[in-house]
Amino acid sequence: MDSTLPAVAEELLKEIKKAFQDTSHGIDTFSFRLKFIFGPSAVPALDLVDQHSVTRVVSPSGRTAYQVLGSSGKLYTCYSSCHFCTCPAFGFSVLQKSESLLCKHILAVYLSRAMGACQDLTVSEEQLTSILLAEEEDEG
Amino acid sequence: LCRGGLAERLCRLQNRERSAISFWRHQCISDAKIPSDKSGVLIVKILEMFEECTIQVAICQQLEQSPATLSSEDAVVSAGEPILKVLFARETAAHLKSRPHDVIHIYPPWQKLILKNADVPVIMNTYFSQKVLLSEHSETREETHRLRKMLIRKNIISLAQTFRLDDLDGELHQQPSDNQVDCGLQIHDNRDSKQRPLAQSAVNDSLLEMVESQGAVGWREAQVRVVIQRVYCLPAKEGHRSHVQGKKPLCATPIVNSDPPNVRLCLLVQDAYGMFSEVQLQSLGSADDVQQYCSRWEGKFCCLAGMKILQRTTRGRTLGLFSLIDSLWPPVVPVKVPGQSQDSEMTTTNLPPPSFCYILTVQPGEMHVEVDEEEQISNLYQPPAVRGLKEILQIDGCNERCSFWAQVLYLRLQTKHSVPVNQREIWLFVTDSTLQNVAHVTPRVVAVSVTASCVLSTEITEALSVASRRVFFKDALWGNGRIICVERTVPLLQKPPLCSAAGADLSELTGPVRLDELDSTTQTNSICALRGTVVGVNESTAFSWPTCNRCGNGKLELCPQDRDLLYCNQCSEVVTSPVLKMQLEVFLSCPSRSQSTVRVKVWHKMSFGLFVLINMLLSLQSYEVQSVLGKEVGLLNCYVHSATSHPNCVALEEIVLL
Repeated sequence: MDSTLPAVAEELLKEIKKAFQDTSHGIDTFSFRLKFIFGPSAVPALDLVDQHSVTRVVSPSGRTAYQVLGSSGKLYTCYSSCHFCTCPAFGFSVLQKSESLLCKHILAVYLSRAMGACQDLTVSEEQLTSILLAEEEDEG
Repeated sequence: LCRGGLAERLCRLQNRERSAISFWRHQCISDAKIPSDKSGVLIVKILEMFEECTIQVAICQQLEQSPATLSSEDAVVSAGEPILKVLFARETAAHLKSRPHDVIHIYPPWQKLILKNADVPVIMNTYFSQKVLLSEHSETREETHRLRKMLIRKNIISLAQTFRLDDLDGELHQQPSDNQVDCGLQIHDNRDSKQRPLAQSAVNDSLLEMVESQGAVGWREAQVRVVIQRVYCLPAKEGHRSHVQGKKPLCATPIVNSDPPNVRLCLLVQDAYGMFSEVQLQSLGSADDVQQYCSRWEGKFCCLAGMKILQRTTRGRTLGLFSLIDSLWPPVVPVKVPGQSQDSEMTTTNLPPPSFCYILTVQPGEMHVEVDEEEQISNLYQPPAVRGLKEILQIDGCNERCSFWAQVLYLRLQTKHSVPVNQREIWLFVTDSTLQNVAHVTPRVVAVSVTASCVLSTEITEALSVASRRVFFKDALWGNGRIICVERTVPLLQKPPLCSAAGADLSELTGPVRLDELDSTTQTNSICALRGTVVGVNESTAFSWPTCNRCGNGKLELCPQDRDLLYCNQCSEVVTSPVLKMQLEVFLSCPSRSQSTVRVKVWHKMSFGLFVLINMLLSLQSYEVQSVLGKEVGLLNCYVHSATSHPNCVALEEIVLL
């Protein structure tokens, strides 16, 4: 059977984006739904949005990636073409245990996009490549 | 957590909710019977269950009444009852310990979500749920069931399934590139549907009224008659940019992207009260048809119905849109004033320019925009005022829209430098007769930068890669001493039929094009002509390479069969007489800019005079420096890579004008 949760999550994020465009503070209506669907990631993700921790990194060819400044001060990279984050919680809760749809960083990326709270940064191709490859080097 | 931030607010709401849930559950247990308040209670019978990321998804049938009075055998699944997808949080599921065939009462507040393209509604926030115990008989069965652990199927969610936040793009995602001709589906031309009555109900002439009455009865059928002032393309929003394949262009071919950009056709319309609105129509595969729409639609009336309001934007938020609106203000004919009777009209001299504008879009699947192509041009239409480049360069203001004809002399892609906001900037070096025929006061050639937000049709990029063309720049932006093409600028190859000349000389250039000579005012990113004498040679930059005499391909390979021969894989043939190209950097002394070190990269075949020089240097291993120095270099056309004053040097590259 087709999965249900992603469609629900997507619809919720779209509603948040629309509400935010219309009134700039429609988020309250959706707080309960956010909490229900995303569980313990909801409050930390909103906190990251409050602190404008999400940066959309773009290169001249049009590739994008997202960088989120975590609460510990570490910078995590989230991909735009699939759900992936370099934080350990993602590896554990999402990949290993399939306990969550997203980690708080990926959720913060979506919420920031919906509410127009992303910071924008343009870098060269080489810099974006090194951002995407950086984690591999560390584990090398 | 941030004070007053979203996270703090959610935390507070959550805490209140959590205590309410535990209080409610405690009450259920202590009362040991079903709470009697039936209003808003959802009664469901579970048919099937599975788990997704700790959320339990139950496919249920909604029951009309509580089957508490029926035994489990009587509560038969009847086909007519609606199906729901009920989501339970982990904690709730653990509390319920439900199984298929269980009946659950879900007390408010619960939430219902209807997904697009799905028949089954989703019920969530089901914290206040309770299982209904049917009868004595089943209670004992419950006990034995509880002893066996129930296995629930777990759905693993794919990470490749990302979320799309843009409503409209979600729809468009299904139609990749057929949209070029598809405009006919959504936009009706009067030519195609003469039989179809234009208006089912009275036609309004106020955009504001239509917007403000949204949601009221009958607004869907109401139509607004407006004038199309401009037609242009906007790049589609995030998530759907087609990615460049990573091809680095060769110096001679300026086309970067073979994938068509995802663009949206837009109209800037104005109603009888002078109010503007930007109407975003559906997506096109490429910008190639814009030219056609511009000539067919600009100035004509059209009827809008059932629009969806995307945004109400203000001057501060969309400077680009308002610079275009300002260029159309004040209106050329008197406009109506709201509140006064329809007959009286006021002059327009005192009206301030608009400070807000609605951005509308079409609802997918419904027919909304009817352009009246047969009718004559509206009096309200203001065609772009064409000016000469000389006049534009003298404009005092900032962010002013201007339209002009110009001959494109040279094209340069900015891909190597990290330009801040733009993704793919193209620089066009242009001139017209107003600049060419006047000496020394204004520059002879002007650089026009085309940002990524300005959509270029492939027709133009192809035309420009072949030869010099005259291009009409409609609504380019002048500001800070530069002309830039941004969103809402439309470069066209043909003259729009209604443009006023406004005194500008639209005649072709007579005589050969002259560039400005290199001097102390020459800036980076410009083109110029120079002459001078060779004072030095940068030998480390000298090299030569063979090219295909048929197609000019510079990357020839050795033939696998015969290692002495060269092979061109673009022509798929052996190259029998390759053309040898050479490159060298020379230092010149130019009298027009005598204080600077001038470094020029020259190419063979462009300057025959230097060919002999280079040939001598490269083929003969030894040479006399003295014989090279002092050679005069004729008028070279060059692109300025950099021109700095400290240190005082200019780096150029010889170019061929289109």
